[in-house]
Amino acid sequence: MPVLIAAGIGIVFAVGIYQILRRNLIRSAIGLVILSNAANLFLVACGSRWGLFAPYSGSPAQTSDPLPQALVLTAIVIAMGGFAFVLAVVHVVALRGRTGDSDDIDRLKN
Amino acid sequence: MNIDHGVLLPVLIPIASAVLGLLFLRGRHRALGLFSLLAILLSLASGGRLLANLARGADPAVLPIGGWPVPASIVYVADFLSATMTVLGQLVFALAIVYSLGCRDRCARDSAYYPLLLTLSAGLAGTFLSGDLFHLFVMIELVVISGAVLTARSDDPAGPEAAYKYFYMSTLAGILLLLASGCLYAAHGTLNMADLARRISAHPECPLGAAGMVFLLSAFLIKGAVVPFHFWQPDFHSAAPTAVSAALSSVVVKIGVYGFLRMTTLLFVPHAEILRSSLIVFGAAGLLYGGFAAAGTRHAKRMLAYSTLAQVGSILIAIGWGTIPAIAAAIVLIVNHALIKASLLMLAGAVASRSPEKSASFESIGGLGRSARAAGVLYFAGALALVGIPPTNGFIGKLVLFRGGVELGRFGTVALLAGAGIVTMIYMLRSFARVWWEGPQGGIEPKPRGDRLAAPAVLIVLCLALGLWAEPLLDLALRGSVYLSEPAAYIAAVLGGGS
Repeated sequence: MPVLIAAGIGIVFAVGIYQILRRNLIRSAIGLVILSNAANLFLVACGSRWGLFAPYSGSPAQTSDPLPQALVLTAIVIAMGGFAFVLAVVHVVALRGRTGDSDDIDRLKN
Repeated sequence: MNIDHGVLLPVLIPIASAVLGLLFLRGRHRALGLFSLLAILLSLASGGRLLANLARGADPAVLPIGGWPVPASIVYVADFLSATMTVLGQLVFALAIVYSLGCRDRCARDSAYYPLLLTLSAGLAGTFLSGDLFHLFVMIELVVISGAVLTARSDDPAGPEAAYKYFYMSTLAGILLLLASGCLYAAHGTLNMADLARRISAHPECPLGAAGMVFLLSAFLIKGAVVPFHFWQPDFHSAAPTAVSAALSSVVVKIGVYGFLRMTTLLFVPHAEILRSSLIVFGAAGLLYGGFAAAGTRHAKRMLAYSTLAQVGSILIAIGWGTIPAIAAAIVLIVNHALIKASLLMLAGAVASRSPEKSASFESIGGLGRSARAAGVLYFAGALALVGIPPTNGFIGKLVLFRGGVELGRFGTVALLAGAGIVTMIYMLRSFARVWWEGPQGGIEPKPRGDRLAAPAVLIVLCLALGLWAEPLLDLALRGSVYLSEPAAYIAAVLGGGS
């Protein structure tokens, strides 16, 4: 099971990094979300070292640590606000530059 | 443990005022600005009280939120470093609000402008005062979102692009910080910085501990715009509204510097040697790259933003030396650079506000200075301070820095710092000459009125005052540095004595 979790998180990271390296603005924004979800998965996995049961349900020796789950909740909320902002800015930038390719957006290259 | 609820005030006052301002003063931008100024001054006073208590010899003020026992709860800690950085941040933000009140930018009339400045300052204060790694992440995200929204609404047409670039990089830094928290929690079972420091020095070689350290280091390298991670910074700082760019380039980049100080003097004391040597390498790279890039640019704000890379580089070298005089020099440089860079950016923005295109590129503002002579006098004083010529505080900073280096026998690095000073002199004096000395080219007609100069004038007066009467700051920095050299003091203050 731990190997499976580790491999899964690794694949999500790889997909996220591949996406953020793309030229298209929307794709790279989506890559950012995938990457932040990979980090969240990693945090949850950090808390599941002793077991996978929810706190107060199984035997105390096998419950997972609730603190990383609380951290992940906070991180998800922050990432959601941030992603809404990123999409709004991408919308404005793409409308003004009439393109979604980050190579063609060169207002700052002076 | 010295429990003091006043530690929360520098964070609580700006956030509460931002909410109140948005609720009750919508659309009345003048009243909103004055209300925000009042709030930030109150918060500055509360920060100043914390610092004054420390200077009188009190223990660092600590507040566990919610009254939970300490390593389990989020704590706010105001030790020497945190209190100094908080006061500095609130001071620059108060002057940024003063500047915004007298500026002609359209974005400053927005209802969200002053509340966002307030949340930015609250996030900054929270970052410095937090004693918990995850809370640090949350506060940095508050800073990032407020700063990015302010820049996206800027009058500069490149604002949204710059905001996108900044937000993108900062979110990556946030993810790295999250990964660092995960690694360190998995390795050591705590996120409280004092507890973490204690456990790391007890078990320096935990698996995942090194990964956590590297993630944390890279997060702060992005936040501090240290050279290989800097590329978002000049775009972002030149596209932001003037008051915002002054605050960002002077105090917000100091989040990274603060992080390095905490990492080398508290969290990773067993690994401090390797961290310090890498910081010297990054600092030297920043010094070279920032100086030459600033000399080569054709835009006044962008030049100052590149110069920030070089100045942060010299601060990193001081942190990398790591002796007590060198850390004291780093603290002095942090304060000086914040005051000088904020005033210079405000002056560049004030001149740009008189150009018909509202751009700070040298083509649009070349020769415009003749209509703003007072700004020229202030800019010249600021340039002297940035180069490090007496009687300014820049000279004092350079002096303590060089003394720290010579004591260590690092003559090569000191020579590099001196060479970087000469490059600084070249680009600062050249920009002064292009704007104030040469005549206007091509019939550019300056606008009769520009932004008011009260805020940069206050900053320049502070620079001169700290140059002529440097003892209080030097004394504070030296005491802070002696305190930082004993991580046990911070740990005992937070976790209670004896442990």
